[in-house]
Amino acid sequence: MKRALYFILVVTFMLAGCKSSRIVDQVQIIHAMGYDWKKGKYVGTAIYPTFRQGPMTKPDILTTESSTTYDLIPRLSSKSALPIEEGQLRLVLFGKSFAKKGITEIVHSLARNNKVGMRLQLAVAKGDAERLLRITAETTLSDTLYLSNLIEQNIREMNLPNTNLHIFLYNYFGKGRDPFLPYLEKKGNFVKLEGLALFKDGNYVGRIDLRQSFLVKLLLDETKNGVYQIPISKNKKKGRVLLENLFATSQYSLRRGREPIIDIHLRIRASIRDYPTWLDLPNKKEFQLVRKQMEKHLNKDITALISLFQKKGVDPLGIGDFVRSHTRHWDEKSFYKGYRHLQIRPHVNVDIIQTGIGE
Amino acid sequence: MKQGNRERFLVSPFFVFFTIHGAQLGVGVLSFQRRLNEIVGHDGWISIIIAGLAVHVLIWMVYKIFQASGEGKDIVRVNIECFGKWIGNLLNAGLLVYFLSFALVVLRTYIEIIQVWVFPLMGTWQFSLIFLLLTYYTVSGGFRIVVGLCVWGFIVPLLTIFPMLFFSLEYAHYRNFLPVFDHSIVDILKGAKGVTFEYLGFEMILMYYSFVKNAPQSQRWAQWGTAFTTLLYLIVIFISTVFYNEEQIKHVIWPTLTLAKIPEIPFIERVEYIIISTYVFVIFPIICLAVWAVTGGLKQMTSLKQRKSLPIILAILFAASLFFNKREEIALLDQIVSTTGFYVLIIYIPSLYVFVSVKKRFQSKASMQ
Repeated sequence: MKRALYFILVVTFMLAGCKSSRIVDQVQIIHAMGYDWKKGKYVGTAIYPTFRQGPMTKPDILTTESSTTYDLIPRLSSKSALPIEEGQLRLVLFGKSFAKKGITEIVHSLARNNKVGMRLQLAVAKGDAERLLRITAETTLSDTLYLSNLIEQNIREMNLPNTNLHIFLYNYFGKGRDPFLPYLEKKGNFVKLEGLALFKDGNYVGRIDLRQSFLVKLLLDETKNGVYQIPISKNKKKGRVLLENLFATSQYSLRRGREPIIDIHLRIRASIRDYPTWLDLPNKKEFQLVRKQMEKHLNKDITALISLFQKKGVDPLGIGDFVRSHTRHWDEKSFYKGYRHLQIRPHVNVDIIQTGIGE
Repeated sequence: MKQGNRERFLVSPFFVFFTIHGAQLGVGVLSFQRRLNEIVGHDGWISIIIAGLAVHVLIWMVYKIFQASGEGKDIVRVNIECFGKWIGNLLNAGLLVYFLSFALVVLRTYIEIIQVWVFPLMGTWQFSLIFLLLTYYTVSGGFRIVVGLCVWGFIVPLLTIFPMLFFSLEYAHYRNFLPVFDHSIVDILKGAKGVTFEYLGFEMILMYYSFVKNAPQSQRWAQWGTAFTTLLYLIVIFISTVFYNEEQIKHVIWPTLTLAKIPEIPFIERVEYIIISTYVFVIFPIICLAVWAVTGGLKQMTSLKQRKSLPIILAILFAASLFFNKREEIALLDQIVSTTGFYVLIIYIPSLYVFVSVKKRFQSKASMQ
């Protein structure tokens, strides 16, 4: 009996040595991957940090082309001294022409890939993904995580609605909703977030600007940040106020009938960060005036945004999913046949809570 | 003297909670949302409640069977007394083969998960060997050791794995539950049939019933164990219904593990790998319990000593685990075993119950006259 136990002990320890190991400085950890479609060929770009002295890292770039998307990573491997590891991938960037052609294959492959995390960011680049990645690798930014940090910062603090791989897949696979991704653009030696790219079945169909993406953020779920500029006028004086969202909730309701109507009740608790000097905000009357004008403008802008979605036939707000949850045996096809002429009415209610510490 | 000796091998009725619950909660909970979703979509939670209620009734029947057939008997003796030596032993052999293949399914599915998620290059035999050596170590310690393992198999996952699932509520879409009852009653019942597979394992009480002190009193704990399983399944299905939508879940093989991709801790960026490793605590008690049930049954049937039959059983398990390599083969094995298990539950236990209670009524009438 005792001998058997010793045997078990020894065998267990020895078998534990059979594991396959990946040692951190013997792999190439790629942080961002770009996909482009150029001149009839797919181009893949990977950026990864190489460790020089101590904590200093230097971004490096690998790029390769192929006639399919599948063997881009294996081909990158053939240019790399160390095995490529995708476990720390933080960003997948699609060039616009690639996105137009369809990102389905990449998305399905990411959905199957057990190595990548669900908080991976996807984004679309105006022009080439490769050029954007080169900027982050070669200019003063010199940071492999620059783009993914930029996106995450804007989700947390600014106008970008929450996105990541999970949310994209949820919108992509789900019935009654369409995915959207952050849209990045090269500006000089920097990269700038320029709004949202809209997708229909994995194909890029258009974009909206950063101001509109704040509205999308409001309409999607409870949000706690973002800023929005609203024009304001009083006695022929014209100016703008800057609204800062503190907490916003949206509530959808469906009125059934021959022509169903969807009402969106949007309640924004906001503070006004900046306003023209001629405006006397502590004055109750002017306060009401500003509030009314803000609500009117937001209503107008949201209506315009929704009709833009309807015209393009995309549904990033998940209106179809909302109707599904209120309809027995909902049918996707027949719903989207009538989607274009669906009546969707926003009702915005702005509560101005603060105007800052000075008057 | 003999009675005192036997007492050493028994466990308190309280522990039935852990053996019942531990045996039910296996690899199925990692992927049952997907199968359920195919049949009833977002109404799956109703099916779980129905299946749970059915299992409560089945457990009640098991206890009635043993009460009617007298103290200190296990299923091997009951079968022989009810159906005669030949048919009874045939049923016993069938049960043992079923328990063995139950252990095999759990073992092979877990190894598959490790291979897919963590170590794609690793062979089956290495894991299988480590597991079965550990099983040998545990089971040769006797039933009480196996039950002790079940207790840890309850506590450790509940404290480590379970809380990780709640992180994904960050992405909850509570609207996904609406409209309730969007599927027909037939679909919901079909779903309930599908979920019954996830409750399999509790029928091993047929084997260890005689090892429980004051066994009839342990029914309360057996029922609580099942109720707790139902509660866990409801929580898991609740979280995955709000996290995934119906189309998305079709593309995920192990929805519960993919749920665990969401939490991020500063020093552990990817929790699912930790969960897969900790899952040994869920898997291991089941394998031990099933292997123990097989050796115990063999001892009753053929008076082969457990210490002698154990290596043979483990060798069979080892060889069989190497036999299934492809995803479809494993899925097929899983399907065969769970279908068998379903019929064990739905046909064998109720008919044995009817048989035993009718027989008892006749006997008591005969003794009255």
